[in-house]
Amino acid sequence: MAEITEAIKNEVREIVLDFFAEECETDISKINDTTNIFDDLDGDSLMFLELIEIFKKKYQLDIELKTIGKYSVQNPVRTVGELIKMQLLIIEHGNNIVNI
Amino acid sequence: MTDKIVITGINIITALGLNIETSWQNLLAGKSGIKPIQLFDPKDLETRFAGQLPENFEDHASQYIKKRIAKQMTRVSRMCLTCAKEAVEKHQIPVESYMPERCAVILGVVNTGNSSIEKETDEKNTILKGMNNALSAWISLEFGFEGPNYTIATACASSAYAIAQGYELIKQDQADLVIVGGADSIINPEEIKGFNALYAISTRNESPETASRPFSADRDGFVIGEGAGILILEKESIAKKRNAKIYAELAGYALTSEAYNIMSPKTDGEGMAKTMEKALKHASVSKENIHYINAHGTSTTLNDKYETLAIEKTFEQHAKNIAISSSKSMLGHTIGAAGAIEAAITAMSVHQEMVHPTINLTNPDPELTLDYIPEGSRELKITAALSNSFAFGGHNACLVFKKI
Repeated sequence: MAEITEAIKNEVREIVLDFFAEECETDISKINDTTNIFDDLDGDSLMFLELIEIFKKKYQLDIELKTIGKYSVQNPVRTVGELIKMQLLIIEHGNNIVNI
Repeated sequence: MTDKIVITGINIITALGLNIETSWQNLLAGKSGIKPIQLFDPKDLETRFAGQLPENFEDHASQYIKKRIAKQMTRVSRMCLTCAKEAVEKHQIPVESYMPERCAVILGVVNTGNSSIEKETDEKNTILKGMNNALSAWISLEFGFEGPNYTIATACASSAYAIAQGYELIKQDQADLVIVGGADSIINPEEIKGFNALYAISTRNESPETASRPFSADRDGFVIGEGAGILILEKESIAKKRNAKIYAELAGYALTSEAYNIMSPKTDGEGMAKTMEKALKHASVSKENIHYINAHGTSTTLNDKYETLAIEKTFEQHAKNIAISSSKSMLGHTIGAAGAIEAAITAMSVHQEMVHPTINLTNPDPELTLDYIPEGSRELKITAALSNSFAFGGHNACLVFKKI
């Protein structure tokens, strides 16, 4: 269990928004929690994997992708806000994410 | 009377230009697109030149393809989607007015070009870049087409086969709009070495622009090219209803297999002649109404000889009256894209009443005496024209285009 501080919350949000702005060639000011990754940004599911890898490296997370896959099936992510929430849960709970 | 199938959109990306307009003007001007290879250092190769796209291709593609998607594609996929998007946009094809399930994409794809020259190394994209079907899938994703969507691999005849299949989808009332074509690039060390080992490609390194010399006495093999070609097929009644520009009618085709040899065409062009005969019959076009043939014309010893014999056998006395040219003399052999690029050029010839020359024919093969248009482009009234594609594996295709 890692403690989620305000600094981590802000950092995760910043990384996610920067990532989508860069990859989807979209003005960052137009991306918010309700932005739909598929319909509004023309994004794809590979982006989730890329972001997870970014956070695994940044926070030295020891989590298996199949665990995140199981969680995602139960808790589908479609918006940027949902994705930020999931990333914070991964950082906080690691492989225990499926048990929350 | 059954509805004709017409071409309402054309685009090509070739060594002579990044769209149909530029490529066409350069073809009519008889310019060569063959140059020393720039995509990688070819110093260790026996052949060090090719018909490579202009250097600003990637900048051009970036106007049509988002950076994110571009990373998931090979250069060949980017050629294909760019070519298709520009074809749809420039011809103002109202894709949103069609039922998505009545719109199809069929492409000729030999390979996606996922070779050692691809700079992207992200493993996540390996499968996406390597799937042959990705080329047609990207087009359907772009336009939201939900009808049939697939690729065909018949080597150098692949995209001619795709055009024929597009024709059938409309004829059988399976689709109202079909994007057909293909894209290819084998300008990479692996495939050049492979073709060098087969003695199939020219090694005229001292003069790349004169290396592709179809029907010449001193031809020494084909020249590798790259590019994409896209045609948009529709029913004539639908096209006329919206006053669409119609380039030509796709009047018929023939697809045959020689069942003879994996590399060589059947002796004396027997299989080629059968293909042209069958295509004329399918299109209900008389031999005398064929005024132009866009030849397969590879600049190889056997193809050029046998294709000439096949034209003579098929058309008898009329063969001498037919204007024949090889686009490969200027573009090189674009393999999986060749059928579509040359079909597009043939349709342009019918529409514009102009035919481009066969360049580098300064030392004609004395056995090959047909009219290969060596002197430069020519105005020509065309009732009907053929586009030939004859592939390794014995896959033959002949497409018939008629003036509307």
